[in-house]
Amino acid sequence: MHPALWTGKTGLQAMDVKMSTISNNLANVNTVGFKRNRAVFEDLLYQAQKMPGAQNGDDTQLPTGLQLGTGVRVTATQRQFTDGGLEVTSQPLDMAVNGRGFFRLLMPDGEISYTRNGQFHLDSEGRIVNSNGFPLEPEIVVPDNTNSITIGRDGTVTVTEAGQNNDAQEIGQVELVDFINPAGLLAMGNNVYAETAGSGAPLDGVGGEGGFGAVEQSMLELSNVSAVEELVDMITTQRAYEMNTKVVSAADEMLRNLNQTL
Amino acid sequence: MDKALFIAMTGAKHNMMAQTARSNNLANVNTTGFRADFEQARAMPVFGEHHPSRVYALTERPATDIQSGSFDHTGNPLDIAVQGEGWIAVQTPNGEEAYTRRGDLNIDPTGMLRTGNGLPVIGNGGPIVLPQGQHFQIGRDGSISVNAGGGAVAELVDQVKLVSAQAMGVTMEKGLDGLMRPRDFEGDLPADPIVTVESGVTETSNVNAVNELTTLLALSRQYEMNVKMMKTIDENGASAGSILRMS
Repeated sequence: MHPALWTGKTGLQAMDVKMSTISNNLANVNTVGFKRNRAVFEDLLYQAQKMPGAQNGDDTQLPTGLQLGTGVRVTATQRQFTDGGLEVTSQPLDMAVNGRGFFRLLMPDGEISYTRNGQFHLDSEGRIVNSNGFPLEPEIVVPDNTNSITIGRDGTVTVTEAGQNNDAQEIGQVELVDFINPAGLLAMGNNVYAETAGSGAPLDGVGGEGGFGAVEQSMLELSNVSAVEELVDMITTQRAYEMNTKVVSAADEMLRNLNQTL
Repeated sequence: MDKALFIAMTGAKHNMMAQTARSNNLANVNTTGFRADFEQARAMPVFGEHHPSRVYALTERPATDIQSGSFDHTGNPLDIAVQGEGWIAVQTPNGEEAYTRRGDLNIDPTGMLRTGNGLPVIGNGGPIVLPQGQHFQIGRDGSISVNAGGGAVAELVDQVKLVSAQAMGVTMEKGLDGLMRPRDFEGDLPADPIVTVESGVTETSNVNAVNELTTLLALSRQYEMNVKMMKTIDENGASAGSILRMS
């Protein structure tokens, strides 16, 4: 059959994946701490039909060969950990990492996960938990007669309790974690990521020190999706899809012409 | 059998091959740093005992288009794009040096700097390995420095090897793995300080969609003409047969 059919098909498949990536990015344009994905394309191997310099009769050689490409594929969807914008909220338990670093969470199954989403709450036991109820690791318990909570740039949590003459009392520290290759983290949904062999081992740190971003209280990191960029990407993807459809239909027409004419 | 039939057949067959080359370009219209392939047909006389009166068509790839693609600003500090003529040196899986235009770099868990399709980028002495847990920025000359922050002096870690084929007077040729290598040149190309890169930018594919689609149409029509020729030759044979039929 016509090899252009298969080549066109790989183009269609790749553009399909890219479109799914874009639509997921756009769907999460308002998700706190969301990091956009980018589809990474790679051209497939080339097939040598004729090698340059091949003998073509007694005294003639082919000056150039013929190497036919076999299409394109998506090698990866790369998550881009550029910083999103910061939004000021008045919630004392909202936190944002201004730079590198993740919050560490304890999952219900005892595994550790990581997040950039700093929308924290208190649960019935006074623990600081995220929107899904996963507590921070190490656990921080806020006493029940607390008046105010202050979180320092290094993640230190201090509270003032009622009837204590407003003496600040340190109750714990929000620890940060970083990875050498954050793009290698496994996205688990719910805005949390898990460590993989691709991300490397977690590197512990303190906010604002040694390359880690500072912990900003009463702020949230917005999604780093740029709607304009995604929409322009969507246009180029859609047009590229159409062009590849054109290739498939042209190849189809050639084969039909062959069948009908002969 | 009439030999014209086979000549028309090779014409159609090679039109199909050319179509494949063009469709590969279109499939890669969104691939970072992709370079489009040209395709051309050559008249190939059949040599042998007889007079070379028969001439077949032969499709070949004379060269790869090395024009720059357009720049796409991504804001990612590890994305680089070569300005003008020049190539980024990468290591192939069998340890040789080859060249590419794709600069969507990332760091793997061992700290090795790799292109988007996973090839290690070559620096001052072999593949670049970066220290862990740091922010990096890539300068115009390909130098990678640690972004210490707070006004501290940036520390130079390594430098991406950038080469120029034009300065060496060689032509780049695309290999079967899609990477470029210098034609008729022994060893690796030397690093060229003139080549500059832009950081935070990736270079798009240089495939010209209009050109590809028009060529695709032209090739389709040419193919149909060849099929038409085959039909005509078939009819010739049929009528010759009917004239010679006795009864």
